[in-house]
Amino acid sequence: MRMTRKDFLKSMLAATALPAVGSAAAQQTGPILIGATVPITGPLSLTGKQYFNSLTMVEEDINKAGGINGRNIKIVFEDTQASNSTAVNAFVKLAQETKPAFFFLSSYSTQNLAIAPELSKVQIPAMYAGGADAVAEGGNEWMFRIRPADSVSAAGMVQCALEVLKAKKPGILYIQNDFGQGGAQTAAKRFEAAGIPVVGMEAYGQNDKDFSAQLLSLRGKDADVILIFDYPQDGALVLRQAKLLGFKMPLVTSSAALVPAALQLLSPEDLEGVWGVVDTFMDASAGGRMQDYVERFKAKFGTDPDPYGLAYYDGALLMAEAMRKVGTDPKALRDWLAAVRDWRGIGHVYSYDAKGNGVRDLSVVKAKSGTKTLEFIQTVSLH
Amino acid sequence: MADFIQLLVNGLAIGSVYALAAIGFVIVYSATGVVNFAAGQFVMFGTFAGVAMLVNARLPWPFAYGAALAVMALFGALFFLVVYLPLRRSSVVTIIIGTVAISITMQNAALLTFGSWPFRLPSPVEGKTVALGAAIISTHALAVVGVTATMVAGLWLLFNRTTVGIGMRAVAQDIQAARLMGLKVNRLLALSWVLAALLAGVAGLMLGPMWFADVSMGDPIALKAFAATIIGGFGSLPGAIVGGLLVGLSEVLGASYISSAYKDLISFGIMIVFLLVRPQGVFGEKIQDRG
Repeated sequence: MRMTRKDFLKSMLAATALPAVGSAAAQQTGPILIGATVPITGPLSLTGKQYFNSLTMVEEDINKAGGINGRNIKIVFEDTQASNSTAVNAFVKLAQETKPAFFFLSSYSTQNLAIAPELSKVQIPAMYAGGADAVAEGGNEWMFRIRPADSVSAAGMVQCALEVLKAKKPGILYIQNDFGQGGAQTAAKRFEAAGIPVVGMEAYGQNDKDFSAQLLSLRGKDADVILIFDYPQDGALVLRQAKLLGFKMPLVTSSAALVPAALQLLSPEDLEGVWGVVDTFMDASAGGRMQDYVERFKAKFGTDPDPYGLAYYDGALLMAEAMRKVGTDPKALRDWLAAVRDWRGIGHVYSYDAKGNGVRDLSVVKAKSGTKTLEFIQTVSLH
Repeated sequence: MADFIQLLVNGLAIGSVYALAAIGFVIVYSATGVVNFAAGQFVMFGTFAGVAMLVNARLPWPFAYGAALAVMALFGALFFLVVYLPLRRSSVVTIIIGTVAISITMQNAALLTFGSWPFRLPSPVEGKTVALGAAIISTHALAVVGVTATMVAGLWLLFNRTTVGIGMRAVAQDIQAARLMGLKVNRLLALSWVLAALLAGVAGLMLGPMWFADVSMGDPIALKAFAATIIGGFGSLPGAIVGGLLVGLSEVLGASYISSAYKDLISFGIMIVFLLVRPQGVFGEKIQDRG
């Protein structure tokens, strides 16, 4: 039998169309794809590995519980490393090739800011954990923050310094980036508003390793409490160098210096006189869902969980609930999330405002004397 | 005054580490003409050799340090055989790209082996401090300055009082003439790489307790060692020492008395001024003719 030109064209059309039909069918019946751009390698993986692990765990948990109305979810990861351009490439790759129904972005504000314009183009809802207020101020209606904003953390640290430590001459040390500068400025304004202006503000670069000049400068200005806006590794180094310099005044660090990756670098002596304002107090003895999460995470990954990972776990549970209620239509998902009020996660109670900020509570902690075990001091709520 | 003393000792300690890295840099450059862009990763390897012996293998101090330095010496010899020898007749650009490629490879090898979490490398004088009036000085920082001074004295003796060291200097001055004089040039070149790796090992072992051991620590060291070499004079050993100390002190004192936000700008600003005003550095380069 001879194939006519018409038959040939028909067969070509069928060959071209079939995979697309199959793909469309798979999109309806296969797993719901979720994209996650997280720093899995490089220096930012100190915290990135935590939310890689917690997202892996929550994927299993959601699927074990019946998935999304019978459909499993599948999280597809791309590594952002410690680079904004790599983060954007990772996001674009997922958006174009995987075409996920939802995104999880990293906890680093600069990466969030770099990805935000691309997210606006694809119009898919995303959760992120970067703290910089600039991310939310950008007004991207597709972005939902699952951690406290830096201004909230800064306000919590000021509250700790004023109410718990009765600071009269506070000083501030901060990492020189969006997170550190924003936090330091907010804290300085809050101190000013309370009638207790800061005696000094010192900055350090992200790759700096010696902080003696900044610490001694603040001590020289008679600071009686020092607030430190830091990342995990430099935060641990600051606390250690302060101890070696013989500092006696209380130090109040932001969340990062007290995550397990940073704590393993410190000795109990380094933590004497150190207070922390952390996103969530991770304590298995609290029982219930917190105990379940902490114990299962530790058993599964062999390391203590941190509040960043928990934020992603909570975020994924919230996303699953949204999908169960309204399906995977991006606009419907976005609208449902924007209307969330008092949703009780494990780490926080989530209520989203018009800028996509969902968390306004923090915990003040301190290491028990002579140990590296953190104890809960008080909750700071800025609702 | 107490603060100044603390800053001075810290600056000298950091400067000492930069100086050792810069000396390794200069030894290799003088002997082989290779600008080793992997110099910072050599120091990182030194720190992780310490982590492997002290933290992972839990060897006692003297054995751990000895084993870590033996590993570094072996690494230097391996680098000579696997990287330098195949590239030695290539163009300068090829060699530069080669050392950059090796630098990236070394960093990723460390990442694969040790993971991304930093380690706390202990010091034999862990947590100890000395009170100097009102100033509290870290004993480790003092030890770093002392060890560096000893190393520099040892290097002076090696290059001025031993046949091997004088041979290395001869190779650095004119490789063809050294070969004609019957010197075992390849052996002496290999020794230059071993010596550079050993110095980086010592720098890494001393730096680990000050900074934490992490796989990305090499890049800032390489930049500062490079700045130290430019300031001191490219190819000059005394220049590397003075340059290293100057960079360390300018970093710490500049951050304290000028601006902490611009401390890197101060160090690199000094380097740029030298490049513009005195490109040969403080000591200049004595060796004009290289084979």
